[in-house]
This record gives sequence, C-alpha cells and structure tokens, in this order.
Amino acid sequence: MATAILQFFKTFMLWELLVGLKLTGRHLFRRKITVQFPEENTPISPRFRGLHALRRYPNGEERCIACKLCEAVCPALAITIESALREDGTRRTTRYDIDLFKCIYCGFCEEACPVDSIVETHIQHYHFESRGEQIMTKEKLLAIGDKYEAEIAAARAADAPYR
Amino acid sequence: MPEIRNYTLNFGPQHPAAHGVLRLVLEMDGEVVERADPHIGLLHRATEKLAENKPYNQSIGYMDRLDYVSMMCNEHGYVLALERLLGIQPPLRAQYIRVMYDEITRLLNHLLWLGAHALDVGAMSMFLYCLREREDLVDCYEAVSGSRMHATYYRPGGVARDLPGTMPQYKPSRWKSEAEVERINADRQGSLLDFIEAFTERFPQRVDEYETLLTENRIWRQRTVGVGVVSPERALQLGFTGPMLRGSGVEWDLRRKQPYEVYDRLDFDIPVGANGDTYDRYLVRVEEMRQSNRIIRQCVDWLRANPGPVMVDDHKIVPPRREEMKADMEALIHHFKLFTEGMCVPAGEAYAAVEHPKGEFGVYLVSDGANKPYRVKVRAPGFAHLAALDEMSRGHMLADVVTLIGSLDIVFGEIDR
Amino acid sequence: MSEDLVNIEVDGIPLKAKKGTMLIRVTDEAGIRIPRFCYHDKLSVAANCRMCLVEVEKAPKPMPACATPVAEGMRVWTRSPKALAAQKATMEFLLINHPLDCPVCDQGGECELQDVSMGYGEGISRYSEAKRAVKDKDIGPLIATEMTRCIHCTRCVRFGEEIAGLRELGATGRGEFMEIGTFVEKSVTSELSGNVIDLCPVGALTAKPSRFTYRAWELVQHASVAPHDGVGSNIHLHTYNGRVMRVVPRHNEAVNETWISDRDRFSYTGLGAADRLTAPMIREGDQWVTTDWETALTRVVEGLRGQPAEACGALLSPQASVEELYLAQQWLRGLGVRNLDHRLRQSDFSDQDRAPLFPYLGDALEALEQTRACLLVGSEIRKDQPLAGHRLRKAALGGARVMAINPRQVPFNFPVAETVSADPRGMVLALAGVARAALERAGRTAPEGFKALLQAARTDETVRAMAQALAEGEGARVLLGVQAHAHPHFALLRALAGLVCETTGATLGYLPDGGNGAGAWLAGAVAHRGPAGESLDAAGQTPDQWLQPGLKGCLLLNVEPDMDCEDPARVMKALGSAAFVAALTPFAGEALKRVAHVLLPVATFAETSGTYVNVEGRWQSVAGAAQPPGETRPAWKVLRVLGNMSGLEGFEYLSSEEVRDALKDRLRAAGVEGFDTVYRHDGASLAVPEASRGLQRIGAVGPYGVDSLVRRAAPLQATQDAGAHALARIHPRQARSLGLEEGDQVEVRQEGLSARLPLALDEAIPEGCLWLPVGVAATRHLGRSHGAVELNKV
Repeated sequence: MATAILQFFKTFMLWELLVGLKLTGRHLFRRKITVQFPEENTPISPRFRGLHALRRYPNGEERCIACKLCEAVCPALAITIESALREDGTRRTTRYDIDLFKCIYCGFCEEACPVDSIVETHIQHYHFESRGEQIMTKEKLLAIGDKYEAEIAAARAADAPYR
Repeated sequence: MPEIRNYTLNFGPQHPAAHGVLRLVLEMDGEVVERADPHIGLLHRATEKLAENKPYNQSIGYMDRLDYVSMMCNEHGYVLALERLLGIQPPLRAQYIRVMYDEITRLLNHLLWLGAHALDVGAMSMFLYCLREREDLVDCYEAVSGSRMHATYYRPGGVARDLPGTMPQYKPSRWKSEAEVERINADRQGSLLDFIEAFTERFPQRVDEYETLLTENRIWRQRTVGVGVVSPERALQLGFTGPMLRGSGVEWDLRRKQPYEVYDRLDFDIPVGANGDTYDRYLVRVEEMRQSNRIIRQCVDWLRANPGPVMVDDHKIVPPRREEMKADMEALIHHFKLFTEGMCVPAGEAYAAVEHPKGEFGVYLVSDGANKPYRVKVRAPGFAHLAALDEMSRGHMLADVVTLIGSLDIVFGEIDR
Repeated sequence: MSEDLVNIEVDGIPLKAKKGTMLIRVTDEAGIRIPRFCYHDKLSVAANCRMCLVEVEKAPKPMPACATPVAEGMRVWTRSPKALAAQKATMEFLLINHPLDCPVCDQGGECELQDVSMGYGEGISRYSEAKRAVKDKDIGPLIATEMTRCIHCTRCVRFGEEIAGLRELGATGRGEFMEIGTFVEKSVTSELSGNVIDLCPVGALTAKPSRFTYRAWELVQHASVAPHDGVGSNIHLHTYNGRVMRVVPRHNEAVNETWISDRDRFSYTGLGAADRLTAPMIREGDQWVTTDWETALTRVVEGLRGQPAEACGALLSPQASVEELYLAQQWLRGLGVRNLDHRLRQSDFSDQDRAPLFPYLGDALEALEQTRACLLVGSEIRKDQPLAGHRLRKAALGGARVMAINPRQVPFNFPVAETVSADPRGMVLALAGVARAALERAGRTAPEGFKALLQAARTDETVRAMAQALAEGEGARVLLGVQAHAHPHFALLRALAGLVCETTGATLGYLPDGGNGAGAWLAGAVAHRGPAGESLDAAGQTPDQWLQPGLKGCLLLNVEPDMDCEDPARVMKALGSAAFVAALTPFAGEALKRVAHVLLPVATFAETSGTYVNVEGRWQSVAGAAQPPGETRPAWKVLRVLGNMSGLEGFEYLSSEEVRDALKDRLRAAGVEGFDTVYRHDGASLAVPEASRGLQRIGAVGPYGVDSLVRRAAPLQATQDAGAHALARIHPRQARSLGLEEGDQVEVRQEGLSARLPLALDEAIPEGCLWLPVGVAATRHLGRSHGAVELNKV
C-alpha cells in the first residue's frame, strides 16, 4: 500500500525524470573527456595498422627483395609488384604499388614480409585530393618509410616479443 | 465521399533510423502500418563468393566486415568452423582471450545498439554516454590487433598475438596538462589486462546510469512496452536467436547450451524476458552487458594467472614466429608456403556457431581438400530477425517502426553479406 | 603375361604390378603419393636423395621406393610411423645446408623442396650450425645457377648423360664437399639444356632470361605448340599480364615426351624485340609513317591490284599457321597471283610435281625410336629438330645404325655407324653409291634414267656398308633433312633416296625446315599445287623464276627477305625493283623497311590461334595466349579482311577454326586420307652434276637463325651454338694452303658480292669447301648458298 502511494507521488512528481536530469546535470559539470581532434590524438598502439611504408636498411639499401609474399597474401589484391634483376645481381622491385582504396588494412603484408620491409605505420591521417593519388607507389612508400623510420622501428621493437 | 486508399511509404535507404541501408516499403493506412516489406541487398559484397577464391586465412578480414559492430565474434564463427575442419584446438589461453574479446565485442555491440536505439526513440545523451564506454573498448581492440574495428585477430589455432604488456598513453599537450594526463593515464599504467580490469570495475555503475535514464523513464516505457510483441512459440518459428529469442522468454544461449571455448568454465547468468516486447528485449540486453562484464572479469583473472602460448605449435597451420622464420630453413619454408599458398584443409564440412551479440552466428564450411574453401555459408542472425519485421510492425504506428528496427538490432553488413 | 604380374599391397590397397617394376612407378600409377627428389620417370634410378623411403614388410630398414623392385606378396606402408620418421629425417638432412633463399629464389612457390617440406618435413629446424656455401657456376646465357641450393639429386647430371648425350654437368667431391658443376669452366651447350631447369627440384638451376621477373602463382598457363621446327613440340606458354614470361614443356608422349628444345623454350624472349612493329606503317617517299589499319589495308589492296598479277608473287613463311597460309593463297589466287611459295630456302624445284602430298616423316615420331638403320641425308637432326634427334638417339643407343651423308661432319650425341661429308656434288655421288650398292646387293639393275648417275657414283666401303645396313631387315629409313631440301640438286637426292628405299625396303622420310612445312603444302602454299594437293589450272612459277628484277608486286608473310631466303642478294634486288611490296610481319626489320611499301603488324605464334601440322602429319590447333602489342592483329584476320576488301567470295570466316575446317573439308573432298612418301621416278634421265671449280660454298641456317622470332631472342643469340654458327669454317689443311689461320677476318667473294666474317678452322668441313652460315647478318648480302666462292684474308 505504501509503495503504491509512493509510486503515485513519484509518478505525479515526475520523479524518474528528475533523477535522470540529476544524472545528466552531474555530467554537465564533470570534467570533459573530449579530445581536441585533429590537433590532439588518442594514444596509438604500437600494433596500429595505418598507412603503409617501405623501409630501408641503415645503409640506405631498400629492404624489399621483391619476393611478392605480400602481393600473394593480400586478400584485397591491393598490391601490385613487378620485379627484375638489378645490375648488381639482386632481386628488386621495379614497381611496388598499393591501391589504398582496395586495401583493407588487415596487416597480412607486414606479417608476410620476411625482411620487415613493408609495414603498416601509425599514420592514420592522410587524404587524397584527386583520383590516382590513392595509388601508393614505391617512391611514395619509401619516402614515408624514410621520414618515420624512428617511429616505425620503435613500434616494431616494442611489439617484437609478441610476433 | 472520397475514396480512402492505403498509401505506400518508402522508408530508407537514406533514413538515419534505417540503421544502414535498409529500404523498407511500408503500406500505410493513415499512420498505421498495414504491411512492412524490407528490401535488402544494398550492402551485398559477395563475401561468401569471395571467400571461395582466397586461401582460408585471407577471408578472416572479410568476416570482420559482416556485422561491423561485433567484429571479433564474426571472426570467431569462421575460425571455429575452420578449426573443426582442421581438427585442432587452440591453447587454453587463446580460448580465454577469445572469450574475453567475444564479451568485449558484445559490450561494443550492445553499447552501440543502446545508444542508437535510445537516440531513435528520442534520448540524446544515451548515445554520448554509450560511445564514451565504447571508446575504451575499441582501445582494447587496438591494443591487441592494431585496429580499432576490423581486427583480423582470431586465427585458426589461436589468436594472432598475445595480449600486450603495456598500454599506449596520452601525452601532455596544449589542451592537457601534466596532471590531467596523469589522471587519464591512470588506467594505462599497467598491461592491457589491467586496463580491462579497470574498465570492468567502473562499467557496472555506467550501466546503472543508463538504466537510471531509461528503465523507469515514462517516455521510454510508453515507446517500448507492448511494441512488437512476439510470443515464445512464434519467436522459435521465426528463427529468432540471441536476445530476440530470450526477450520472448525462451532461455536459449549457445554459450550455455552448446558451450564452445571455455564458456563451460565460466560463471554467468542468462537473462530472459517475460512479455516479448521491445522493452523486455531492452532489459535482456542491458542485463547481458552486466553478465558480459562478469565474464570479462573472470577471464582477466585467469589470463593474469596463466601465461602461455596463444597459438597451436603446428607450423603446417600456423606460421612460425618471426625470429624463427629469419634464421631457420624449415620455418622459412613454412612461412613462405603459408603466406602464399596457405594451408590445405582436409576435405569435409563443418558448421560452427557462436553466441553472437545478435544471436546465433554460424559459418558452414565445405572443403574439397584444397587451400581455398569450396563453399562458405554464413548464417547471419539479423537476417531472420529482419524477416519478422513485417509481422512485428503490423498494426503499429509509423513511429513504432523506428523503435522496432532499433529493437531488432540489425546491421546490414551481415544481412546482405 | 599373367605370370609376370605380382600382387603387392601398399597402405592396405592391393595392387597388381609387373614383376621387377620399381615400387615408386607402381604407386604413382595407383595414385599413391611418395615424396621424391632424385627419381624421374624419364631418367635412370639413382636413389641418392633417400626421400622416397617407405616401410617394407620384413625389411629391417626403410627402403627407397624408387630402387625397390616389387615382388610377390610385398607389403608396403608409405605413411607408417617408421616411413614418416625416415622421410622426416631425410628432409631434415636435405635442409641442413639449404640456404634461406626462398624469398629471392625463382623456384619459390613451385619448389619441390618446399612442397615436400610442407608435406613431410618438420615444422622447425633443430640445426643451428653454419651452413655450407658453394660457388656459383657460369654455365651460359640460358641457365642461372645458385649452387648452394643444390640438394645433389643429380637429375641434371643424369639428364646430361642419358638424354642430352653430353656429359657436361657432373658431381665432384664427396659428402659435404660434393658440388655439381661443369667439369671445366664452360657453358652447357646441349640444344636441350633448358630442360634441366624443369628437372631441378630446387632453385639451383633456373631460367636466366626470365630471372626474378615472376612468381609461379602469378602465371597463367596456355597450351601451345612451338613453331620453330617440324616436331611441333607441345608447350605451355606462361603469361603474366598478357606477356609471355616463360615457356615450359607440355607433356605429350607422342610428340616431345616431357622435353623441349632450348629454341622452343627461349624463343619467346624475341617477342618484345626493339623493332617489334606495333602499328601499320606506310612508306611516304623515304619516310615511314604510322597509319591506321584502314589506310594500310586499302594501300595493300590497291597496291597489289595496280600491278599485273602475273608479275606479282608472294613469299610465305613456313612458320605461319595453316590458317594464315590457306587464307593467303586463297586471297592471292583470287587476285590472280599464282607465284606464291613457302619454300624459301629451296633452290632445286625440278621434280616438284613428284613431291608427296606434304613432306612427311614417313612414320610417327615415336616410331623413330624403333628405327634399326637410318640414313640421314643433309640433316643435322640434332640441331635442326632436336626432339626428333632425341628419338633417333634412343634408337641408336638401342643398337640402331645411324648413318649420315652431310656437307660436314656433324657432331652427333650418339654413336654413328658411317658418315660421309662432301660438297653438294659429292653428296649426290655418295647417295648414288648407296643406291648402286643396294642394287648390286639385291641383284637388280639400275632403273631407267639412273644409269649415268650410278655410273659416276662413289664406290667404297662406306657406301656399301650403308646400303647393307639399310637392306638388313625391317625398320630402315632414309631421311632427307633441311640441308637436303636446300641442296642445289635436291631432285637428284630425292630420286636416289627413293631408289635406295625402293631397293632396300627402307622408308623415305622428310624433315624440312619450318614449324609448319607440312601444313604449308596441305594449305596450298606452293606454286604448283592448290590446297589439299589439288592440281591447278595454271601453276605458278617457282621462286627462283619469279624473284627476278622484272617483279612488280610482292607480298611477304612473316618473311625477312635477307635472312629467310635462298640467295638473299637476288631476292633483295628483285624486291627492291618491285613497284609495290607489302609485308605482314611482327617485326620491322631493316631489310623490310628498305624494300617494303606497307608494313602490317601481325601476331606471332604466341598471340594468335592457329594450327600447325608437324612432320608426322599431326594437326595441332592452339589458342592465342599473349596480348598482341599495340595495333597488332592476327595474320589470319588481316588476310580475311584483305579478302573482303578485294571483293572476293568466301572470306566470311569468324574464327581460325572455321578456316581450318574449310581446309580440312577440302582435304576430305580430295580424298586424302592416308599418305605415303613413296617416290616414283618417271624414267627421265638424271644427269650427273657437273664438277665445279674452286672453293665450294656450303652451309646452312643455324639452330638459332631459323625465323625472325628466334633471331631476335637475345639469350639464344648469346649461346655458344649461335656464336659458333656465325663463323666461316674451313678445313685446316685448306686454310694452310690459303695461308689463313684461326680467327682471321676474311673476305668472301661470291659473284661480285662480298662479305666479311671471322674464320674458324674445322676438320669437319670437307676439303675444297667453305662453310658459310646462312640466316646471319654477316652473310645476308651474299648470293646462293652454294657455288664457287673466293676467300681472302683482310
């Protein structure tokens, strides 16, 4: 009987709505969790799979040996490689294209690479302004690798025990 | 007297409440729905057919993209079917990791569902609160797999990598002082498991908050109670699974009825509804979040106490570790062959189903002994649920259709495949 | 034969096999897979890789299946724990010294070592010590070596000994220090050497021309037929993005078994030659202008129409497909042009009416292995038709007496009974000697017409031995080779060979040049016969008659006039004087650019569908595999459109198959079912060739000069064979008398023409003769391939 009366008054007084308002009101004055994107970013895991890069050895030689494992394993057929014999007798790519529109960022290319050449970096903010730019050529990929080698190497080192 | 005729209303596919690319053709008598005819296929990507043309492992990433709010659960169904064909069982630690991430995925799914459902019905702040929690969970995704959504983390024989020992941390910036950063990094000081544990500590209060806002709320109840009632018999006949079935009062949960991985070692309850209406389905899902939280806690405790391998030790199926591959002939050969040709799976067929956040997600695999599946069939729970929309919405008002679509928890990635 | 069969049981499956058969052969036939490296169906058993170890009941240790003969009641387990342990252990040993090369190895993805390791090996290595390294060998421009990868299966060594007949590769050292290599630093020169690339189960021997350019899984396989010799070897073209990346053999026991010649394997490298024609071109004054097909085709039709048909002619390549040749002759004869021919290198046409329906081997290729005695006339079969040579080699190793009458002593890769090397006249007289000895032996008199010839014939032990060998029993044959066809007295050789065969019961056979020499006759690409050997109302002239300065118009189908023809100087002069020359060609060679007025780009054999008839009369149709470059079109389509544009009837073919079937219908209508090569002499008197004075030119086209594609295949041109062929050769004694030495640059003069090339001293050349290569740049300005020449040191 008492609960019924209480219920009647609660209904009459919009009790549950007031409780809800109290909750939202409390959140109104709480510290905000907003991140000032794009100036500010959330932390990124060393395993993050972002934009691709091709790495080089410390002596400046490109790591890629055109074994085409990444091309073979790519589920989306985003990678196109053409290979040839370079003058010094080594096996090298003459073309290494990744179509970022096809890529599904599964990370298999990086897992497949026997020489740690193709990697998916922490870079997540990039855009294309015209058609065709989404094809990452060998030059572009090497440039990304050169620019961010320190971060790339650090992330690989951090995650090495788990691979 | 003018002739009154029913008129046909196109609902979607570009309607924010249509949850993706649903096109619903509604036959209306005034504002009352006479018939609802869902048109599907706008997100068809031929996942099943594509899988026939790829080595087995290459399709894992495509499973993520079926129900793209419960990514790892989709992977789980596929990987489980594959493991049954291969006749292998992942190490216990991998099973615990999978269960933990299945439940994290369930939270991800239900949080998005709750936020969007409440938003559809008219509650704005729910969406913001739910996505706040989701943010922590996608961080967990990113920490293990490197991707915040499409993880490609489960592999036949285990999971791709073990749980990391550290979490990435915020750095001080113009907007965040040292003290502020220290505060928000508090949960990130330890390992991923510490981070998840901290989440499970605070999450039940968050669920209480959601319930404060909705469960007793008169508008919410007016909009959901008695809407889309499905009797238990009818629910079974319609092929309902998951919360849709349990909302109608049938206690059916694959985690309990056909336990896979380590669910039989874990302690959790199966909530069921009483009336089979939208409100009961809401209650069931909210309770499921609490139960998932419980499971995650148990997994965290076990995983912390039991380090070990997360992949089977069979290089005919699982590529060798990287340092082995670089120094060891056999390992290099197996690495090379697994990444080009993939593995050959014994001829046969297997069906594996998991208790997906939306219901029974099953993968039926047929192998002819090659390195690619002969056939992959995906049993998507949302498909059966959507098929019941016509029956559920008859006699309801147009606005209730929005409630019902929300209540079905449909995602077109899995329905259209 | 039931007593020969024994019952064995493998993995519980009862099998019947011939007693003494090696176990692995029985299991292979039954579809039970046993891993192996050294065993090969076509090679002898070495049993040195130990990969095929299986458990045999009552045997104390696992037995190698490749060297274990089956016996009654034998019980074998291929997948028992014992067998698996043995296989696993073998695999581990094999990989101990194998380098971690998979990512850079061309074999990766199709490597037997990888496959067997996946299927039978351990997943992880227990070996962590240093691996050995072996220095690579340079064995020529065709085969790349990476000897560290070698697992010593010795398939290549056994191939060299047993198939190629040259012990070029061998194993030196023992155990850890065993190496495979050439005995002295030199190239592998066998014309079949490329097959070791297929044989090598690992990446130790790979194809050099295509090194590092593809992965096995990227290639699309197309069945095809090689058009470079009359064998018609079955091949697979492997393409990537529409480009041919490599050629591998297609197994056909009746034609090429599992082998192909280097020429067939590497000719594809010429497909992308720098002078490949990619768009139709017309000559405007002295300038070549690229144009569209419409303009070019109109120009061709008008150009040929504008000339009197009787002063026009056409040279058709014997490498062209049946369809192309058939359509070409249909179109040309429709225009009234009767002078057309594919016999580009022939100089004696006097008995062409008595030629068989087509130059038939006289038997199936396989039957060559059953040969008991064979007289080769003007044939360097080993280089000309390597796989026919291989069949003959098998016969020779089985005891057959192979004899040769050639312009020079050819190095055979099998024991040869009797050889004669002589100048053209000497060859005729030697063959006449064989005929005379055979007649004497049979107690018969010389038939009408042969008397004078037999009178002048050579009579010595050699020719008598030849006649005797041919006359003894079944399975004898006389083969007229490429050099016989180009012989200045081909008619005499044929008549004499016919007489020898008639007397001894041997079979007469032809081995002409060109991949489709047989098809060309059937398609009617000869002056005096229509398709299916139909006789013509008015026969055309032979090339030696119409290729003269009076020529007005000419069509060339895949012919390079300075390289592909007898007497290039005369041909070039005739074409140069013609008012209109059109060429359908894949390549815009320098000579064509000089004489032609229109160049139409047509597809090579790899890029179009077509049918080739080999010397045994086997019709082999193939589909195009590669993407023709640029505006290139299949020649049969071009000829079809030319027929349409000329307003002729019967050019409505939609596919090459329709063209082929049209020809086949005509063959059926002509009642040509079986064919033979029996030569029937009409009794006309055969004159003894006159002895000519001075140094006699002899020579023939080399193995890598046979057609425009092969000539552009750079790796083939870099081989020793090609290099050795580019020299003038003379007997050392003759050289001494002329005061010449090895390596001298010499000037050759022939009927006012001259050429310069290096000289080699070669005892294989008969004295009084100078061997000059044909179909090479150095001699393309000279005249006939025989006759008197002068030689001076520069």
